[in-house]
Formats: sequence, C-alpha cells, structure tokens
Amino acid sequence: MAETKEKSLSDEKPKPRVRPIVRLGIFLISHSFHVSVVCCTAGVLALFLLPVLAKNTYISENALMPGSASPMLSNQHVSDGNRLVKDLTNPNSKSSETGIESHKIIAQYMLDLGAEVSFHKFHPQMNQFHPLHFFSSPDSGKIQENYSCSSYGINTVGIIRAPHGDGKEAIVLVTPYNALKSGFGEALSLGIAYSVFSLLTQVTWLAKDIIWLVADSQYGEYAAVAAWLREYQTPKFSSLSTPNAEMCPDVNNLFELKGHSISGSKFSNSFRRAGTMASALVLKVRDQNEQFEDTISIYAEASNGQMPNLDLINVVNYLAVHRQGLRVNVEKLWSLLNSSWLKSLGEIFESLAKVAKSLYPKWKFGIPATEYVEGTATLASSLYYQALGVPTGPHGAFRDYQVDAITLEISPKFSLDKVWRNDILLRGGRLIEGVIRSVNNLLEKFHQSFFLYLLTSPSKFVSVGVYMIAFALLIAPLPMVAASLYVDANSSSNCSKGDSSTPSAITDTDEHSIAIRSWRWLNSAKLVFIVHLWGAIVSLLPYFISQIPDCSPTTSFMIWVLLSILSLLTLNSVLASPLACAKATQEKEWALVKSVTISSVFIGLGLMSVINFATAEIGALLMVPMCLLAQPLKLDVRAGTLRSFCRMICNLVLGHIAFPPAAFFLLKGMLDGFGNANVGDFWMWVESLWAWNSATYLFIVEVTYIFSHG
Amino acid sequence: METFINPKSLFHLLLLPCLLLYSSIAYNSSPVEAAMHTNNWAVLVCTSRFWFNYRHMANTLSLYRTVKRLGIPDERIILMLADDMACNTRNKYPAQVFNNENHRLNLYGDNVEVDYRGYEVTVENFLRVLTGRHETAVPRSKRLLSDEGSHILLYMTGHGGDEFLKFQDSEELQSHDLADAVKQMKEKHRFKELLIMVDTCQAATLFNQSPGVLAIGSSMKGENSYSHHLDSDVGVSVVDRFTYYTLAFFERLNIYDNASLSSLFSSYNPSLLMSTAYYRKDLYKRRLEEVPVTNFFGSVMETIHTDAAYKALSRRNSGRFEDEMSLDQSVHHIKRRMLIKVNDGDEIHDINPELLQGEEGASKCPWSTFRKKFQKAENVDSLLNYGLVAMIPLLVISTWLVQ
Repeated sequence: MAETKEKSLSDEKPKPRVRPIVRLGIFLISHSFHVSVVCCTAGVLALFLLPVLAKNTYISENALMPGSASPMLSNQHVSDGNRLVKDLTNPNSKSSETGIESHKIIAQYMLDLGAEVSFHKFHPQMNQFHPLHFFSSPDSGKIQENYSCSSYGINTVGIIRAPHGDGKEAIVLVTPYNALKSGFGEALSLGIAYSVFSLLTQVTWLAKDIIWLVADSQYGEYAAVAAWLREYQTPKFSSLSTPNAEMCPDVNNLFELKGHSISGSKFSNSFRRAGTMASALVLKVRDQNEQFEDTISIYAEASNGQMPNLDLINVVNYLAVHRQGLRVNVEKLWSLLNSSWLKSLGEIFESLAKVAKSLYPKWKFGIPATEYVEGTATLASSLYYQALGVPTGPHGAFRDYQVDAITLEISPKFSLDKVWRNDILLRGGRLIEGVIRSVNNLLEKFHQSFFLYLLTSPSKFVSVGVYMIAFALLIAPLPMVAASLYVDANSSSNCSKGDSSTPSAITDTDEHSIAIRSWRWLNSAKLVFIVHLWGAIVSLLPYFISQIPDCSPTTSFMIWVLLSILSLLTLNSVLASPLACAKATQEKEWALVKSVTISSVFIGLGLMSVINFATAEIGALLMVPMCLLAQPLKLDVRAGTLRSFCRMICNLVLGHIAFPPAAFFLLKGMLDGFGNANVGDFWMWVESLWAWNSATYLFIVEVTYIFSHG
Repeated sequence: METFINPKSLFHLLLLPCLLLYSSIAYNSSPVEAAMHTNNWAVLVCTSRFWFNYRHMANTLSLYRTVKRLGIPDERIILMLADDMACNTRNKYPAQVFNNENHRLNLYGDNVEVDYRGYEVTVENFLRVLTGRHETAVPRSKRLLSDEGSHILLYMTGHGGDEFLKFQDSEELQSHDLADAVKQMKEKHRFKELLIMVDTCQAATLFNQSPGVLAIGSSMKGENSYSHHLDSDVGVSVVDRFTYYTLAFFERLNIYDNASLSSLFSSYNPSLLMSTAYYRKDLYKRRLEEVPVTNFFGSVMETIHTDAAYKALSRRNSGRFEDEMSLDQSVHHIKRRMLIKVNDGDEIHDINPELLQGEEGASKCPWSTFRKKFQKAENVDSLLNYGLVAMIPLLVISTWLVQ
C-alpha cells in the first residue's frame, strides 16, 4: 500500500496544487524518523497508561439481574454436601485402584436426588501437533485408535431437567476430581457442587437444564472436559464405539453393577445430553492457602487469547463481593508487584493527575500508585496469558465451542473446623447458586458485554477501543518508514543515473528505466519471500521431529537447530544464488529490502492483532524497534562514527533478544534465575504451544524471519 | 279511480301528524349538546416482553383488577399483555403473578381475560383497537366497541423514551401515532372522554400532541420511572412506583366513592415516585375536582328510573331528556362542590344524588311529556302545533266517514 501511495505521490509532484491529505503524507514521510520516534514512545507510554484508563465493569445485560433473588441454599443442602465429602474422604472408598468406587458413590448420590446419571468413558488423547489446523475449529471427527483398556478415564455426568423448561439450553457445572489421589480440596468442591445440585433438583424456577460434570482429572483436567465436550457436541450415530467399551471388562463391570443396584430407570449407559450450553462454571477448591481471608480466583483466558463475555465475570464478581463477602482475585504477575520502577511510574501518574485536577476539577483520571502497580501486574498477566494462547484451566475447552466459561478457584482460609467447612460450603454454594440463577434468567447467549478486553482488576477492564490505540501508535511508523526508505532508494539511484547519462539520452531511456526501477522492489520481495519460506520450513520441522520415537527434549532441539541451518544453506544455494551474484548492487539495495520487510511486518502485525491482540502487542514491542533500527552491519562498521556504533550495538542486542530461544531464556532467567535454564526447556515450551495450536507459534516464526535479515 | 287516490291521500294525511310531532320534538332538543355518558371502557396495555419486565405485566394486571373491582365488566376491558410471566419457566410460582412481595394477592386468578397476548401486542393491533379498523375476522371481544357516550381509560406501561413507547422489543409507538389515533377516535365518535395514563420513562412526552383528552404520565421529560420494590423470592421487581401509588389510592376506594380525579392526581408524591407525575388537563373541558375517578376507573352509570318496565323512547327523546339532565346536574354539582368544601378530606358518601335528581325528572313516558308540555303551555307555537295534531284524527275520521 505504501508503495502505491508513493507512486501516486511522485506522479503528482509537478502539479502545483496538491491535496492536503497528500501533503500531509509527504510531510510525514519526509520526517519519518522523528515521527517514528514519537509514535513508538507514545505507543509504549499508552500501554503503561492503560491501567489508568481502565473503566469500572458494569453488568450490561438487563436479563441477568444478579443478586436480585435471595439465595435458597439452606443448611439442609449444606449438610447433604457435607455427607458426600465425608463419604469421599472415607478411606474405604479409596481402596479400589481405579477409583471406581468414588465414582459410584457420586453417581449414587446424584441418583438419590432424582437426576439422570450416566458415565462417560474416555481415552486421554495425546496432544498432537497439526500444523495446518491453526484456525480450524477443534477437530471433532477423530478416528478412534486402539487404546489399551488400562488407560481410560470416567466422567460422571448428572443432569437435572428444568421442570417447566423446554430443554433447549443448559448450564454446565464442572468439578475436576481425581479419584486416585484426591485432596481434601477436590472433595470439598464436590461437596459444594452437590449441595447446589441438591437444591436445584427442588426448585421450580429452572429454565435451563443443569449438567453437573465430575471430570476425571487423572489425565489432566482439560483432557477430561475436552473429551466429554467432544462427545457432547458431535453425536455419533453409529454404534462403532460400543465394541470398544465391551473389550474392557472393568468398565462393563462398573456399568453392570450400577444397573443392578439401581432400580430406577434414571441411570443409563448411553451418553446423555441436554440443550445448548449457555455457560459453564468450573469449580475448584484449593488445598493449601496461606491467605487470611476467603478468596476466590477467576481464570478466564481460553485458547488463543479468547475471553468469555465480560458479563459472566461481572456476575461472579458482583455476587462474590457484594453477596457472599469473598475477596475476588484475578491472576497477577507477582514479580511486578514489588518492582520499584513501576511504583515510581505510578507515583508520577498520580501526581500528574493531581496537577490536572487542580487545573480543571472535572479531570479525574488519577489512581493511587499502589492500585496502579496492581493494575499493571494484572494487565501484564492478562496480556501474557492471552498472548501465550494456552488456556488457564478446563474452561478453555468450552470456549472452543463458543460457550462462555470460567474457572472459579476458592481458596479458603484453612482450618479443619467443622463450622468452617459448613461456612465455606454455604458461601461457595450460594455463590454458585446465584450465578446459575442469574445465567438462568438469560434469554439469549451472552452478547451484551465485551469479548475483547483486558482486566486490570476483577472490577476494572480496558476495552478493545482503548488498548488498540497503544498498538496503533506502535505500528504506525512502519508504513511511513517503509515509504520513506522506498523514496530514498529510488531517488538516490535516480541521481546517480542522471549524472552519468548524457542529457540527450534522458528522454529516450527515462521511460524504460522508470519502468524497470518501479518494478525493482520485486527483487527484494523475492528475497523476503525466500526467507519467509525458510521460516515456514523451520516451523514445520518440529512436526517431523516429534515423530521420532524416544527422543529427549535436548536432542530433538539439537536436531531442530541442525536441520534449520541445513535447510537455510540449501535454500541459499538453490534459490538465493542470483542474489549472491549481484552482490555489488545488493549493498545499495538494502534499503529496498528493509522497506519490503517492514511492509510485510506491518501487514503481519495488523493481521495478527485481529486474531490475537496480546500476541500482536507483545510482538510489536519486540519487532518494531528492531525493524526500524535494522541496518547492515558492514555499513555501520565502515561508517565508524559513534552513532552508527551505538546503532550496531542496539541491533545486535535487539536481534538476540528477539530471537525466540533467547527471549525465552531471558524471561525464564528473570523469573527463575539463570541456573536451571536448559535448552530442553525451550523444546518443552514450544511443544506445549503446538499442543494448543497456538497462534503464538506462528508468530515466533515470524520473528525468526526478521532476525535472519539482521 | 277513487280507490286509487284515496290510499294516497290517506298516506299524506298520516304523514302530516308525524311530521308535526317530529318538528315539535326537534324544536325542543338542542342538536349541539354531546351524548350522555353511557358506558365505560378500559384499554390496558403492557408492552414489554421478557422475564425481567415482570413488573410491567404486574402493573397492568393490577390495574385490570382495580377497574374490574370498580365495575367495568370484562367485555368492556381490552387487556393486552405482551408476554406471559405467569407461565414463564423462571417463575418460582407457576401460573401466578404478584404485585407485592407479601404474595397475598394473586393477580392471575381464574377470571382474567387476556384479549391480546404475546406477539399479538403490536403497534398495529393497538392502533387498530383504538381506531376500530379491524379485519372482519376479528371477534367482537377483541374490539373496542365504544360509542360517543363512552368514557375510556387507556393505560399503558412498558419501556419508553422521548416521544415513544417501546412495543415488544422490536417496534415503537410514537407520540404522534397516538395523537393521530386519538384524533381519529374523536372524529369517529368513539369516546366522550378519554383518560390516558402512562407509566414509562419520560411518559409526559408521549402526549405532547394528543388532542382533546385528559392525560397523566409517571414522569417528565428526561426523568426515569422506577420500580417500587424487588421481590427477592421471585427474583424480579414486581411493580412500578407510579402504578403502586395509583393502586394504593384505589385500594381505599369502593364503587360508591366520589373521590375526584384531582385528588388522585395530587396524591402522587414526587419524592416517593422518584419522578414527577405530570398531567395535562388543558384539553379537557370539565373541572377535575368535579369528576369522580369512577368516571374512568369504574363504571358508575346514572341509573334512570322509569315507570314502565320497557321504555319506548326513541333515540332522539333520550337525547332531549339528557339535555334537561345536564342542567339538573350542573345544579347538583354546585351543591356537591360546596359539600366537598365542607369536608374536603373525606369523600362524600351521598348515595348518588343524581339518582334522586333523576327520579324527579325521569318519570317520563311520551304521554307525560305531552301532558307536561300542555301544562306549561307558555309557548304559543307549540300550543298551535299540538292543536293541529289534535285536529288530524278528526280530519281523518271525517274524510273516511264522508266516503
């Protein structure tokens, strides 16, 4: 785009009157250096201003009406829940090796309430890297491979049908539970869920069905929930899966036992469904807690930086704070909390706000420095987890099916007192009841509030309209610099040609040379394309490496590095040879190459910001300075001035920092200390990223291209 | 030949007295005077859907109950409810609607006739009801069959704004639509008096342009109307403030009470309402102090005592009779106003003075009218007329005898 604009500019030059917008464009391009410095500084500053600009959350959907109904959960239900907790923590139930006993207990309890109960057997699915599935929906029609009977998990599912409802919608309550080594916290979370469940079997106001999923977390919480959801969302109409189940006697045994012991028809071997899911809550209770008051942590980030609707978080926050008196937490980067520079920055903002307020009393944007630091820490973690694209809990599985879900982790101040346990059961249960009743009031899907936001505290958020400003400022210099570089490259070659050729020949050769010169950027584009191609190959390599059996992370990483270098050399010899021949001109054309690279980075970042803002923002922070400063080392060395030397140092440092492994080690070093850093860690990290089909992965590759330019 | 002519002449002769009679009667009745108040109608509209608008349905049903209690029969109430809260799955008390958290009164009992429900409640249907332009298939129970003697109460509640009222979350009634409908009603003689009562945000803007009616709204322009209280058992707000205090006013009344409209209108306390109730009376002819609320919210007719079981009055005669009545009434009104002044807080319980007044003047069949006219006999013209009329039978008989 920048190029075309530039062409139109050069065409219009002879004309005396130039349109103001064009004149503005020319002005910006000619002062691109200053503009880019100003824009980048403003972009970074705007990012740090975000906690100050955060707005208070509000419940946007009228229908929700959280807290308008008084909670109905009574001590009777709490004692029901307590009974389940006791039964589960009873050592007898843990005797069985597979933990089937406790599942039976849970199922029996559900049946006693009159709910429909079924078991869902699943095989844990290994996370596999599918390079071509980045943007496709989660793979549903997976072919059932031969799993061994020994490794399977059992989800227990209880469903309450809404007494007057039409059965078209459902609310899901998930409690992860590992029957083999369950802590007291997990049992307690089951107790809370059970007390709510027992209440909901009695109420008349349900408009949506309630599904209680006890997810077997022995193969990971996410895997269990994801397996159940896959089964739920993609009904199988053939009976292919049944022989698979029959092959495993243990499972059959379980089913049959249940069938015998229960006279009612509410238990079924087949998979049970309710309506479309309106929302899902994952409930956990943490075992150990060093805090002095009951807190509840909200985890919201799903895969690829997707967030549930803000209204869901608002409802939970409102009910927890104003009704149950719990403290609400969202994740923070704890290391940032104690940083002194952030504190001083907050103080600067605070004093600035005071000055502004004294100037004009209506300006009230200042927040206290401590609040600022906390807001920044929360914002940073929000950005980090969104950018990483790895879900922060089992709720991520729901988001893949466009279901709004969050994980609630209750961390009670710990004591073994019975009164305390009843209290936490009551308050936790009432919170869940309130959220369910509120969601039950919903008439449509969550749609009123924001989906694109960053949290700075449980009750404050930065919406997409605000945080995009920081990003836009950051990448605004890119097209200008690209255009100015292009103009420079063209004009310099123009001058040299004008000097050498005789005036008589100008008219003849000019048109021809202009035609050639205007297409010369294609050469550089080709170079950039080849480098991108190499990046793509490098990014696909791990898929093949992961096929090699019995490979430690360190060796596979080494293989990856070796193969990457090999492929680079091959590409260079095969494709880049014509460029190598024209080495003399290449030195002049570095500006053109840089301009094309910057344009491609601009386009890439722009697209990435649509897919995952946080990734684009962090990427822009790393890449924009690098792109703007990049210059061939040879030229800097030859120039020999102090300025060029500084620039060279900057380039080298930036180049190394932005190279993904280097960046990873730096971060890890900052967080954990450098001692235990290991190459294998990087491999593991990358591996975890493929597993989530993360867009970050694509992005890292893009960073790699840029580095290769430096 | 004679036989041919004779019936014709006979016919002429017969026609003559009728004409004379007609002229004598027409002479006395004034054609300008409006019709008497003969019946009461109520159009009660709840315009909003969705569970969280429970209170709007409760408002409307409460008003429905009140006007029914005060005497408007079901067939003269058009009840429009845009949603069915009673059978909403979220209702903790299925098939019941309450307007108070004490749950003492179920508004959705057995005898509630909803005329327009759910998606039938649209702006189009509403305007059709008002203007009476229905398709032929619409049953009579769904029509507003009012006439020039009707007093109509039009109550609307829902979500509104500046000069509009939202219907069904998808369309809106604008104030000029309403004004136009009222004007059409006026042209078509569909009402004698019309009271528009609106409980929405910025309700006053809705009758910026309504002609010839009395109107009251719950809030001024730029003000919101608020709900009165939340029922934490049902989980929703159950009644709006304006309607709540309206109902509180009416709960003290029964069908015989004579509380005036002005006492209703002045009963709204802006601090309790959290908005300013606004009423517009500049287009209304009568003094509000003289109009009992039962003129709109109930159906208290003047009972006309007659000698005969079936009175054989023509329409015209009754019109004339009313002329006299209104004169009597005005006298009575003066009397009553004085009474009000005497004990102004307490409403007067004189059992329909109009009835007594009516008895005095209503011992009227055609014959007594004649007699009275004769007795008065002041007017020479009328005497002449009656004389001529008396001559006619003589003439007829003599003609017949001659043949």
